[in-house]
Amino acid sequence: MANSKQIAEKAPHVLHHFVDSDQQFESSKLGMWIFLVTEILFFGGLFVAYIVYRALHPELFIMAAEQLDTTMGAINTAVLIASSLTIAMAIRAAQLNQKRNLIILLSSTIALAFTFMVIKYFEYTHKFDLGIYPGSYYTFEGIDHELASVFFSIYYMMTALHGIHVVIGIVFIGILVYKASKDKFSPEYYTPVEITALYWHLVDIIWIFLFPLLYLID
Amino acid sequence: MSAHHALPLNTLLYTAGALLILTIITVAVTWLHIPEPFNVVVALGIATIKATLVALIFMNLYWDNKFNTVVFLSSIVFFLVFVLITLLDTLFRDVPFGIY
Repeated sequence: MANSKQIAEKAPHVLHHFVDSDQQFESSKLGMWIFLVTEILFFGGLFVAYIVYRALHPELFIMAAEQLDTTMGAINTAVLIASSLTIAMAIRAAQLNQKRNLIILLSSTIALAFTFMVIKYFEYTHKFDLGIYPGSYYTFEGIDHELASVFFSIYYMMTALHGIHVVIGIVFIGILVYKASKDKFSPEYYTPVEITALYWHLVDIIWIFLFPLLYLID
Repeated sequence: MSAHHALPLNTLLYTAGALLILTIITVAVTWLHIPEPFNVVVALGIATIKATLVALIFMNLYWDNKFNTVVFLSSIVFFLVFVLITLLDTLFRDVPFGIY
């Protein structure tokens, strides 16, 4: 039959319900973009909280943001941009069938993600030492505003949710390194690298907005 | 296989370079102490340029199926609706919020 002949010609990674490799690749990518839309709206709720409180209490945000370390925030921005570059280069390595480069670039991305989390750890512990905790645990007295804890609740929710996304990204990129070492990727099939990179770039984009909104209020 | 064209290495490196330069600019403009509403406009403007660069080049939207761009932009449209409708409530209340 004509149909069974067509199926026999498909590459081994193409599932039976797709016409060909390109269609499967495009479908996976569209699915990832739809997931990213839900992620944007997920973070969107926190951005709305930020906008509402900043509109109500602009002076609070100017006073409280002085407690955030702009240098550390700027370094973390650069670290995430570098990690976006390495994962974009990893896709290129997969397309060009450079297995060694693919593993090196994915591992560099993981290293940069850890660097981000370590800097975040130092920022958080410094604030905890001062008594800057979220919500009702807030005990810091250096900001003369009755709603100072509200700013830091927003700060912790936004940066911690972002940090969780970085940790999840580390896990998924780790899986990519494992699969790459087992020779699972080729120029014909590298879909997991592509869609994990899309996720990682979105995490970068969220931070690109968090950095000026939280750290750069003067 | 036309969809799997690898980007030139220089395109990726220049994009990352532009993003780093824009990061330096966004920090540097805070030293100018631009008056209140405009500092937010400048900061968000630079952030939007950076996000656009990431989306177009690193996320490949520029060369990709345009439907993915439509999907991405739809999330921004709905986010703006979310912001607008919420502010229509919170900015125009006769009775202020309680403890918050």
